[in-house]
Amino acid sequence: MLSLALTFFLVANPIGNSPAMIALVKDCEFSRQKIILLREAIFALLLALFFQYFGEFFLDGLSIKDYAVMASGGLLLFIVALGMIFVNRSSEDSVASTRKEPFFVPIATPIISGPGLLAIIMLKSRLENNNIKITMAILLAWVGVIAVLTTAPYLQKFLGKRGLVALEQIMGLILALMSIDMIVNGTSLFIKSLHS
Amino acid sequence: MSGLSLLSVSVVLFLIMDPIGNIAAYLTLMQGITPARRALILFREIAIAFTAMLLFNYLGEYIFTLLGISEVAVRIASGVILFLIAIKILFPSANGLRSNLPKGEPFIIPLAIPLIAGPSLLATIMLYARMESSELIMLGAIVIATLSTFVVLLLAPYLQRFLGNNGLLALEKLMGMILVLMAVQRFAEGIKQFIKTF
Repeated sequence: MLSLALTFFLVANPIGNSPAMIALVKDCEFSRQKIILLREAIFALLLALFFQYFGEFFLDGLSIKDYAVMASGGLLLFIVALGMIFVNRSSEDSVASTRKEPFFVPIATPIISGPGLLAIIMLKSRLENNNIKITMAILLAWVGVIAVLTTAPYLQKFLGKRGLVALEQIMGLILALMSIDMIVNGTSLFIKSLHS
Repeated sequence: MSGLSLLSVSVVLFLIMDPIGNIAAYLTLMQGITPARRALILFREIAIAFTAMLLFNYLGEYIFTLLGISEVAVRIASGVILFLIAIKILFPSANGLRSNLPKGEPFIIPLAIPLIAGPSLLATIMLYARMESSELIMLGAIVIATLSTFVVLLLAPYLQRFLGNNGLLALEKLMGMILVLMAVQRFAEGIKQFIKTF
């Protein structure tokens, strides 16, 4: 169970993703950021648990294949990344609060509970008959995720305002790479499905 | 090419109608109207939207044949359009349909059209009507989706009290995610079919 929890934690990758998440919430107040990240972590948890129990049933019912899950995660992330790299400065200056705080998309999914994590959860729950064990592993992993996410906002104290702006664009680039990786994976799954 | 399942068509139509996302707009429109009158108005608007959907369903079957558009094109187009609709739900823009609603009791505009049966829904219905050869499934899906929307909007005040505005927003985003998944799947199926034509 511990190794399962560790796998989930690593795939969710809260540590690697926390700079990106900070960049996304940087326009909100500090205390608000913690609330947002906590809320997104809980959304991601609910999504993970939902996919553990109903994922296969849900995807089969709508005849959605694994490559579609993979590619759509990538596409969404790519749109978010584009927004981060090409920030619209003029609109930002005129009305400071127009940039809304992120809600569900993109932090809860596809950054934390991305297609990779959901696929692994579904795979493990298919292999393992003991559902409780997987749920416990997910919960255990989320203790770590929540701990990382709630401490992440402190990171920006080191970076300062200019650092954050730079961070946003760099993270946008990294997210763009990640998203293309997802799309490529999805495409290769799709091509494999053509042969079978 | 096998048809689409009744479930998947109904879900797509329901998601595009986006009743969860329309709850806030609906409640604003219905301010100061008695509950009994509200139900009546809602029923009337739903009926109008339903008629529009039926009309476009039949229109869709003929117009694409008339224009000689292949099924592959229709499939890929429906994937792309669904995707763009989903993106609009996930990343709402400030000047959308819901930002400047007219005052007063709604009649056809804006509740029936475009909030329930918007251009994107009607376009999707046309595309699906072409893809799905079975009339029964299309009609069934339209009926199911419309009825579900009716129920959701009828229960709108309770849903809003129970879930709160943030809960509704989360639910709407979740629906948007599902729509993205279905859009990509449709698109991939179109490509698959296209490859088979060689």
